Amino acid sequence: MKKFLMATGFTALLSTTAMADGIGVSMALFDDNFLTVLRNGIQAQADAAGLSVQIEDAQNDVAKQLDQINNFIASGVDAIIVNPVDTSATQAMSDAAAAAGVPLVYVNRQPINVDSLPDNQAFVASNESESSSQGFTEQCKQWAAAGKTEVSVYVMQGELSNQAAVQRTQNYTDVINAGGCAVTVTVIDQQTANWSRDQAQSLMTNWLSTGAAFDGVLANNDEMALGAIQAMKAAGIDMNAVIVSGVDATQDALASMQAGELDITVFQNAAAQGGGALDAAVKLAAGEAVEQKVYVPFELVTPANIADYLAKN
Amino acid sequence: MANSSHGIGGLAYDPKKRTRPSELNVLAALILIVVVFEVLGRLILGDSFLFNTRENVDTLFNEQRLQIIILQVSIVGIIALGVTQVIITGGIDLSSGSVVGITAMVAMSFAQVAVVNGNPNPKAIFGPEWMDLPVIVPVAVGLACGLFAGLVNGALIAYTRIPPFIATLGMMVAARGAAKWWSKGNPISFPTEGYAAIGQGMMPVVIFVCLAVLFHLIMTQTKYGRHCYAIGSNEAAARMSGINVTGHKVLVYTIAGVLAALAAIVLSSKNLTAQAGMGVMYELDAIAMAVIGGISLQGGRGSIIGTCLGALIFGVIISGFTFLKLDAYYQEMVKGVIIVGAVVLDQWRQSGRGRG
Repeated sequence: MKKFLMATGFTALLSTTAMADGIGVSMALFDDNFLTVLRNGIQAQADAAGLSVQIEDAQNDVAKQLDQINNFIASGVDAIIVNPVDTSATQAMSDAAAAAGVPLVYVNRQPINVDSLPDNQAFVASNESESSSQGFTEQCKQWAAAGKTEVSVYVMQGELSNQAAVQRTQNYTDVINAGGCAVTVTVIDQQTANWSRDQAQSLMTNWLSTGAAFDGVLANNDEMALGAIQAMKAAGIDMNAVIVSGVDATQDALASMQAGELDITVFQNAAAQGGGALDAAVKLAAGEAVEQKVYVPFELVTPANIADYLAKN
Repeated sequence: MANSSHGIGGLAYDPKKRTRPSELNVLAALILIVVVFEVLGRLILGDSFLFNTRENVDTLFNEQRLQIIILQVSIVGIIALGVTQVIITGGIDLSSGSVVGITAMVAMSFAQVAVVNGNPNPKAIFGPEWMDLPVIVPVAVGLACGLFAGLVNGALIAYTRIPPFIATLGMMVAARGAAKWWSKGNPISFPTEGYAAIGQGMMPVVIFVCLAVLFHLIMTQTKYGRHCYAIGSNEAAARMSGINVTGHKVLVYTIAGVLAALAAIVLSSKNLTAQAGMGVMYELDAIAMAVIGGISLQGGRGSIIGTCLGALIFGVIISGFTFLKLDAYYQEMVKGVIIVGAVVLDQWRQSGRGRG
């Protein structure tokens, strides 16, 4: 059956392209929860379509990633999907693929040359400017509903070299400036915990040791939000008195939300991004036109609608 | 004296010539760094680094800060205890961070609960018959993981005579690969209460301190310890004087592997999750703690006390920078300067004494 599917898949591709060696995928990092869900999304979609995909791990190394792309081109793949390690280093990748005439799809992270992509290249992701702003807006509403007018918060940033960390932090400011927050927000301190639960635990405990009163924690992702929660629980802080928000809606985060600890997270549909990237790559390989920017929407998750998300990540 | 056995291997050693043990210098550096943060805090923030300034708490010191200073380095500190022994024998262990990764994944797989908030565990690795196991199972499996990795390291180094740098570099890459392969990169979460208790609260510190005391005694009071220093000072002489160098090396690397595994168990329990990327760079942090603590990479010199002080310096720096609300960039830059600075100062002191 699988052989039959593969054969039909290849025949479909053969009709438009000379080569039929499947699709090459270069992921920025294998050992990242979110990217793993995305990677599985690509794999699942490929299996369903009977396509062969070769997935490589760039191990967060820009140079390694470019080598992988060149290797894919050299081995004659039909299309390449790239989850860029560094979003400012994508011009060389676009150039290499364009020179060889191989379609290229960027997934999840917005390349710097997104507005000047050649016709056979595309970008599939969620719009990062929606991410934490959805969660933060909800957080503001909850504070207002609790009768607060002024709140003090801590902000936990992801890796500072990462565009998503910068954007998600910027979103907080943007929401405030756009008047999207009904309460006055004072940021007590803003630090990086490098997306990591362990570092977030230490950072939060360090913050708690200053004894400053606070109303909430804004974390760039769920792992850090969970680290902050674990530190607060260890220090005996009433989790009903603080509002914590994260981004990603990971299984661990949802379990924490069910336990009444995490208040808000935002679901980024990793599997849909992976599947969307594969669709775009297949279409481009077949010579069809695709939208050059495909945005998969973010979705707000609170205890009210958590049931819809338990099986999604 | 921590280093009274330093003379084994044909080197003359006169304890009286040694006016100050190097640990005192590290301690002085630690105090100096604390004072700098205290002064900067009072000047810039008008707040104290060490002392309690909160009205609602009635203690002299800011106890929460003292706790986090040691808590945030205790897990890497456990690794550093093993790395210290390896370095004293003149070797190096680059694999500990990756051993943490694979051990965390494997141990957590055997520590899962079957039901989370009334639903089946969404991160389940094995079937229900392998869930809700007594805590001894994941701990034993985890320690066996580290024991195996350490045994392979030690055997490679002792029997094939390849440099420790290469053998443990190989293990570092291979074990990280295994950690990613174990669950295809997926995180493993939701441990049993028993497993979660291992790393909760100040338990990591308790485990670290107990192990530090244990290995301090082993390194200073036992034949094992004396042989470590002897091999590190002069391997050929140690061999001539009848020490089983091959067997000893296997043992040292195995102990380092087991300690890395123990750190992984504490780490995954503390975080209630295991991820393939856990422990990245821990090996270098552990080596840096040892080096700051006065352990010579040439081998033969250093002590567990030194490593503990090195770990504390790390912790003070991390907490101090958060206290001053400075960004992580500066934190890493200063960490780098301190690592190099510590060794340069130590070299000067050594050569100065050599001439005198």
